[in-house]
Amino acid sequence: MDDQTCPKCKTTKYRNPAMVLMVNACGHALCESCVELLFAKGSGACPECKIPLRRNNFRVQLFEDSAVDKEVDIRKRILKEFNKRQEDFPTLREYNDYLEEVETIIFNLVFDVDTTNTNKIIDNYKRENKDITQRNKNRQSQEEMELEELLEAEKTQQQEKANLYVNAELEEKKQKHKAREKLIDELMFSDADAKSIVASHVQATAAIAKEQPKLAAASGGAAVVKSSKFSSGIQIGLRGTQNSFLPIPKQEELPLYSYTATVFDYNGPTPPAIETLGRLNYFANIRAANTAERAGGYTEALSCCRALQEAMGGLFYCPQSSHKNFSTAVTDLAGEVDDMETT
Amino acid sequence: MLELKHALDAKGHCLLEMPSGTGKTTTLLSLIVAYMKAYPLELTKLVYCSRTVPEIEKVMEELRKLMNYYEKEMGMEQNIVGLALSSRKNLCIHPSISKEREGKVVDGRCYGLTASFVRARHQGDDSVPVCNFYEGFDAHGKEFPLPPGVYNLDDLKEFGQAKGWCPYFLARHTLIHANIVVYSYHYLLDPKIAEVVSKEISKTSVVVFDEAHNIDNVCIDSMSVKITKRILDKCSNSIQILETTISNMKENDNKRLRREYERLVEGLRDANLARETDMALVNPVLPSEILEEAVPGSIRNAEHFVAFLKRVVEYVKTRLRVQHVVQESPAGFLRDIHTKVCIDRKPLRFTAERLASLIRTLEISDLTDFSPLVTVSHFATLVSTYTKGFTIIIEPFEDRAPTVSNPILYFSCLDSSIAIKPIFNRFQTVVITSGTLSPLDMYPKILDFHPVIMSSFTMTLARPCILPMIVSKGNDQVAMSSRYESREDTAVIRNYGNLLVEVAAAVPDGIVCFFTSYLYLETVVSSWYDQGIIDQLQRHKLLFIETQDAAETSLALVNYIKACDNGRGAVLLSVARGKVSEGIDFDHHLGRAVLMFGIPYVYTQSRILRARLEYLRDNFQIRENDFLTFDAMRHAAQCLGRCMRGKTDYGIMILGDKRFSRADKRSKLPKWIQEHLKDSLCNLSTEECVQVAKRWLRQMAQPFSREDQLGVSLLTLEQLQSEEMQKKIQQRAQAVELTW
Repeated sequence: MDDQTCPKCKTTKYRNPAMVLMVNACGHALCESCVELLFAKGSGACPECKIPLRRNNFRVQLFEDSAVDKEVDIRKRILKEFNKRQEDFPTLREYNDYLEEVETIIFNLVFDVDTTNTNKIIDNYKRENKDITQRNKNRQSQEEMELEELLEAEKTQQQEKANLYVNAELEEKKQKHKAREKLIDELMFSDADAKSIVASHVQATAAIAKEQPKLAAASGGAAVVKSSKFSSGIQIGLRGTQNSFLPIPKQEELPLYSYTATVFDYNGPTPPAIETLGRLNYFANIRAANTAERAGGYTEALSCCRALQEAMGGLFYCPQSSHKNFSTAVTDLAGEVDDMETT
Repeated sequence: MLELKHALDAKGHCLLEMPSGTGKTTTLLSLIVAYMKAYPLELTKLVYCSRTVPEIEKVMEELRKLMNYYEKEMGMEQNIVGLALSSRKNLCIHPSISKEREGKVVDGRCYGLTASFVRARHQGDDSVPVCNFYEGFDAHGKEFPLPPGVYNLDDLKEFGQAKGWCPYFLARHTLIHANIVVYSYHYLLDPKIAEVVSKEISKTSVVVFDEAHNIDNVCIDSMSVKITKRILDKCSNSIQILETTISNMKENDNKRLRREYERLVEGLRDANLARETDMALVNPVLPSEILEEAVPGSIRNAEHFVAFLKRVVEYVKTRLRVQHVVQESPAGFLRDIHTKVCIDRKPLRFTAERLASLIRTLEISDLTDFSPLVTVSHFATLVSTYTKGFTIIIEPFEDRAPTVSNPILYFSCLDSSIAIKPIFNRFQTVVITSGTLSPLDMYPKILDFHPVIMSSFTMTLARPCILPMIVSKGNDQVAMSSRYESREDTAVIRNYGNLLVEVAAAVPDGIVCFFTSYLYLETVVSSWYDQGIIDQLQRHKLLFIETQDAAETSLALVNYIKACDNGRGAVLLSVARGKVSEGIDFDHHLGRAVLMFGIPYVYTQSRILRARLEYLRDNFQIRENDFLTFDAMRHAAQCLGRCMRGKTDYGIMILGDKRFSRADKRSKLPKWIQEHLKDSLCNLSTEECVQVAKRWLRQMAQPFSREDQLGVSLLTLEQLQSEEMQKKIQQRAQAVELTW
């Protein structure tokens, strides 16, 4: 809509938000001020097609496409005369043919095709169907009546519903208020135990709450009936067996799982632990890891440790000796190796 | 299975809630296939509707396993054709078209190569391109039925490649005689697509809607139309194209227009014939009355019809030029369009059909540009057909940006039963199932049907593997709630943050958090940043956030999974109703805890929602609050269910809102969650919650083997046949009988 421009003075909607475009019978647009300027005398020619126009025929342009404005204008005029209904025709086919004829007439007028002939046809029609036109003018078509009825029904329904809900709400509030006052009164004046009074009050409110939906349904009339059963007689909602929960599986408090470190059997002297490598001066002859390698998580200790493990692993392995003897030998030797290294 | 069998016997509809990971799909498939084998005359076809392509693939996998089992046990080939169907985008094997990304473009280009007139032109002139695969299918594929077996999308493509047939059209052709069809909801529910694809599915079919907790929204979406300014501008362009094509054709080939015109004079009678013989599904967009009549004279001629369309579009344009919100009924709209541009109701009703006919006649091969015009024509047809159950809302701007003019016309369906009614009427059994359908009695009301069976199942578990907790206050005793009045409160936001930090410190691997909306997510995260909570959180786990952008979200998801897989652990912040909450499973270590920050109510100020609530209240006696709570709780349950995908899985579910502990909300959770939600787990504070979680996690982390499950949640054949178990089953069966 912002790109509307007056063809005469080139004002746009953007520059002058108050600009209003007007159209006349020819379908060409002009802005309001141009119309005032050009048609000061009350009549003049259209600046684009030079057709003589009268000023009071100018209307505000309704549609973005001014051609549509023109068409709708012509259509309204034609349909005033051509207002036959389906009831006026013996068959649907003839009615449809008639509709198409009307459409053709409008089409011709809009695009200025064969205007003289068309005008003749219109005049003919006017003469022939004077009384039908006159009669239909005062009669609403069936379709229109249907629509009117629908709208009317919608309106009344809306009003009724609104009233109903407002009333229901008010009623509910009132009742709550009453119940509370009653409770306070009872607590003040009755000699009974306060607890029992409160308990009975809770019961009473619950009972009222249960009744409430019924009341609402009753006041709603025939249309508002809350169905709790299907036509087959089956209740809406979960059935008896379905409401019972399964018992939650209980888990006994078992002793918790605990982690025990796995024992490695190197079949050789125990290599020094990875943390002690630096202290034992193992790194002296190894290339230190550079910064890039360190960033990736690599340290020289890793490769050193692995090399040591590989070197010592399997040293005592002898296939002949039994496994039991062997393992004791390993522990003995391992102690010796440790001693050696520390000294 | 018992319930399902009852429903099949009764030829009625049923509604089943089964927790995810308990073999829902297998149960449905195996019983229905067995039923088909036992009573081949009474039950001829299974139509299995799922939501997304991965879900369809999963169903096909289950079906394949079932068929292999049959083969192994019976020792012979099974005479059953199982078939997955998806859009052209997923099935096309044409070398260049299949490279296209957008579904619409693929459809349009495919139409451009396979439309009957293009192929007719090709016969005269070899330079006109056609699709070789379609030609191959048309020449040979129609005579030979697909050999029995299970075909997923890739199998179809392979088969198509091998034979040189188009897999998409092959699948559509096979649809009619296949025994098992698996496809997306839209092929049945969307009237525009159902008309083309699912029209000829026989009456004696079983229709299964899986993951159907959102089915009412799908129904509504399929009948609603949204028209923006841009759509209307594009419409004007397409109308111009139509105009020029018509005038060209008038000069060159007047005969064809003439022929169409004569056909229209006769009426849409052949369509009517098909409906009379009860061959086709009733299409709600094309009501029966239309078929009995000829196209009205005023839009019979092509030029007149284009002028008519122009008027409709221009009229809608003027309607969009509003300064304030307008809401009116279809009747009011019809009256207004009659007085403003002299358009009657009757021709409007024919708009969609007439436009389709015109496009066919004009032999326009590129349909992609015309989709806006088609949208408007659907709108015109719908608005004139239905006077009840719909509303028109015109908003000049969005609520969030009231200064930016962006007028939108919503033609919104209020009644979800309109779209699904033909399906309930036509098919003998419709099964609606999901992991989270609670409260069950709402669905028959809003979909307006009478189920013969409605039940909610729980899981038999060997250990308490879900831990739902309602955390209602922080350590400082300030109530946690996403209530509108308190959601901006820094104390509430800080408490949510502390809850998350403490949970993140205690729970291993992945944690998923759900917020009520993107807006809330953003405000909370920004204030967490200020409060230093984000820093604390990142000490324990990596942080990922779902955004509205699909690509960004999937990237975040990939990295989240990576972080969980390598043991670093991660937190994913996402939004209920978002992509993550709907389609993505966080099984095992990917989701050890789910946190729900607030109750995911819909945006209640939306006018479409208001109108729908009013309609539900007036016509179905559903109170506004009931529906809102129902909707919020089903989404909450959906989010919570994400972390629990099987019997060996375990997960914590934390509901972080005071209001969850109220009876009306609690009772709307699915039964399998509710039964673990003991009173002692409601109304906890952050500290208590972490205490409980720590203890529980220690128990769950104990080694859990198959032997532990045997006899409780997993039965061997001997155990199943043991006397004790048989007695139990008998008892249960009798209990069900009695309540009938």
